[in-house]
Amino acid sequence: MTLNTLRAGVAALAIMAGATLPVMAQDLTIGLRAGPDSIDPHWSTLGSQAEALRHIFDTLVGVDENLQLEPALATSWEPISPTTWEFKIREGVKFHDGSDLTAEDVKFSIERIPEVTGPMSMTIYTKSVESVEVIDDYTLHVHTAGTAPSLPNDFIRLFVVPASIGMEVGNEEFNSGESAIGTGPYRFVSWEPKGDLVMERFDDYWGEAPHWERVVRKEIPDDAARVAALRSGQVDLINYVPASDYLTMQNDSSLDTFVSDSVYILNVQPVVRDELPQKVRVNGQEIDENPLQDLRVRTALDLAIDRDTLVRVVLEGLGTPANQLMPEGFFGYSTELGPREYNLDEARRLLEEAGYADGFEIDFTCTNNRVPGDSVVCEALAQMWSRLGLTVNAQALNGTVFFPAAAREEYSLAMSAWGTLTGEASYTYGSLLHTKDPELGLGAFNRTGYSNAEFDDLFQQARENLDDDARRELYEEASRIVMEDRALIPTVILQTVWAAPTGTLTFTPRVDQETLAYRITPVSD
Amino acid sequence: MIAFILQRLMQSVLVVFAMSVIVFVGVYAIGNPIDVLIDPGATQSIRDALIERYGLDQPLWRQYFTFVTNVAQGDLGRSMVYNVPVTSLIFSRLPATLELVFVAMFLATALGVPLGIWAGYKPDSFSSKAIMALSILGFSVPTFWIGMLLIMGFAVNLGWLPSGGRGLVAEFLGFRTSLTSAEGWSHVLLPAINLSLFKMGLMIRLTRAGMVEAMRADYVKFARAQGLSEREVVFGHVLRNISIPIVTVFGLELGSTLAFAVVTESVFNWPGVGKLIIDSILQLDRPVMVSYLVMVVILFVLINLVVDIVYARLDPRVRLKGEE
Repeated sequence: MTLNTLRAGVAALAIMAGATLPVMAQDLTIGLRAGPDSIDPHWSTLGSQAEALRHIFDTLVGVDENLQLEPALATSWEPISPTTWEFKIREGVKFHDGSDLTAEDVKFSIERIPEVTGPMSMTIYTKSVESVEVIDDYTLHVHTAGTAPSLPNDFIRLFVVPASIGMEVGNEEFNSGESAIGTGPYRFVSWEPKGDLVMERFDDYWGEAPHWERVVRKEIPDDAARVAALRSGQVDLINYVPASDYLTMQNDSSLDTFVSDSVYILNVQPVVRDELPQKVRVNGQEIDENPLQDLRVRTALDLAIDRDTLVRVVLEGLGTPANQLMPEGFFGYSTELGPREYNLDEARRLLEEAGYADGFEIDFTCTNNRVPGDSVVCEALAQMWSRLGLTVNAQALNGTVFFPAAAREEYSLAMSAWGTLTGEASYTYGSLLHTKDPELGLGAFNRTGYSNAEFDDLFQQARENLDDDARRELYEEASRIVMEDRALIPTVILQTVWAAPTGTLTFTPRVDQETLAYRITPVSD
Repeated sequence: MIAFILQRLMQSVLVVFAMSVIVFVGVYAIGNPIDVLIDPGATQSIRDALIERYGLDQPLWRQYFTFVTNVAQGDLGRSMVYNVPVTSLIFSRLPATLELVFVAMFLATALGVPLGIWAGYKPDSFSSKAIMALSILGFSVPTFWIGMLLIMGFAVNLGWLPSGGRGLVAEFLGFRTSLTSAEGWSHVLLPAINLSLFKMGLMIRLTRAGMVEAMRADYVKFARAQGLSEREVVFGHVLRNISIPIVTVFGLELGSTLAFAVVTESVFNWPGVGKLIIDSILQLDRPVMVSYLVMVVILFVLINLVVDIVYARLDPRVRLKGEE
């Protein structure tokens, strides 16, 4: 075959391919880094799972792009006693099979979760529920074990399925589409694990009708492949543009980029237990005491972090300096805390005062594949601390290795990303900072051994307080305490980037990073 | 023949057994899969309940024993991540990989062997030298990089072929394949070329080496003296004599490509098993890892079995063990 006939053949193939795939203005194809693990909305708390299934199923309580609560299937909610929440269910909502939504379906959905949920257990959202009572078709009472002021926040991931599917159905029935019946703006067409999720517009949707008739969510985990798919026109929008491509795209007039803060903050976790799992060395000799127990040492570590450099140089501008464990505007974010200071001299002075004038040698372990930038920030921190005179052995590990070892408390100083996914403080503080207490179900992810009675007390009070303003103040006070204690040291809020061909789509990025087809519209033509 | 096949199958059972033990111990050494999967908002009691539910609190030997008992009953288990039976999960992805690998192996062999014959038949000609130079490129340049170049050239700049993904899939003779439509071919072409380059280089060099040596052999001289045409000499005698190493390498490459086409699959976003298995490893989804590796072992054993049988056909001097 000569080169010319080969060329002609390839061109012919390409034309035929084009002919069988008419690209219509009503179609939206999105290239995403990750997709769902199942179509069963009660299977997993995975972020990319909730993101995908939000198209098909609605949640009881909604959230806007800044994670502030808004009505969804529930039009209003209020506590009617310390242990009872009343939810008013929206009237006139239709499921994809034509049946009407009632309080019975919501009750069924809450009760279904413990029966079917998997290793990423959704019971974290229903753990405070004791029983659910249907008052009438459109009123639901949720009785909680103890006071649960954050119940509406927990229910932003409570997807509602019709009670008629029955308790027996599992992932197979959902994946095949048989039971994939929601009230969402799109109805399920097809999906297979790691493959494309195809959906069609649901015409009886209760909310604002979405623009796109047909949505295909393609899972393209490889960064380069995702960018190539966008550049070759195979997809209309991609998420998680890698930092290197972001720089190129900014000089490329054919592509638009959308940048947004995420909920993810990289936190340094200094272990403050009496004994460190990886001992600190001074002049090559392991020492028994734990320098991280000394507030002056932790403060020195904090002061030595140049967050502006981290953002500008290390993250190529894709980040914001973090001054506490949640982004601004979240429930419990303290406005009294200013930006964190960078002061190397003061840091050196504190270290000297603590008796480590000659520094020490410490192991520092991070994840390297969980969020964009985790491994580079890890290396940069090690260098920043070395200016204090410390020898920091930074090691960035795959999350598969990191998390089990972190759970076994094998690291002395670690860093990983944390996202306050519910938009309010109890989620983060109850898991990471409260004293480890299996009885109360608190401190499950407290790997540093941090324990502060004053903080615990404030947290307990807040957790029981149904008055929003009073609760907010308590959490803000708690935020201040942990930041003064340097219980965890926040570094940067990560930003993420979407990209689309110039002038095609309008789209407001969300802090929870969700790419929702029904919130995307074409630029008016 | 039958005894030979049985003996091979027995061997494979042993290998499968050893491999499953290694995977179990390996996953156990890394840590608890629940700690990778669990949501950070979970409480201690939720974590404990999960560990108990998946039997991960049991001693390793008992977990393994439960697994073996289930396998003996034909149940390879369910994926911890997708909660679907492992077999159906793997078989939903396998056709895509098979399709890609067979097109790639076909390209590698159908182009590689003739080019190698030519290069060995006329080792000093310019065209042969060009072929050899290209073959070096084929297996020395990294696959992922060539893949990106192919995408940049044919998908992004020229726009002739799609940059990734699998085309329209249709049912054909009970298989779900994309090779029945032009659109399907347009999707498979770039990844298959990418995957075939290394193997093509290998085939070319292997065939050429065999050719160069065989052409000096006495039987070639005799065949020529007999007055046979060059075509009959090359295809009737030489090719047959040099085909044993080619078949061996073909078998090995086929197996390893099927099992580990993952680089090409991820660059071209091909929905094959490679991506599935990598994700399973990252999430410590043990049932999927074990079952997949078991299948790979069986695959290798079967391919080698076929290769051995083909040897006997090609060279009457080769006798299979167990054959009278």
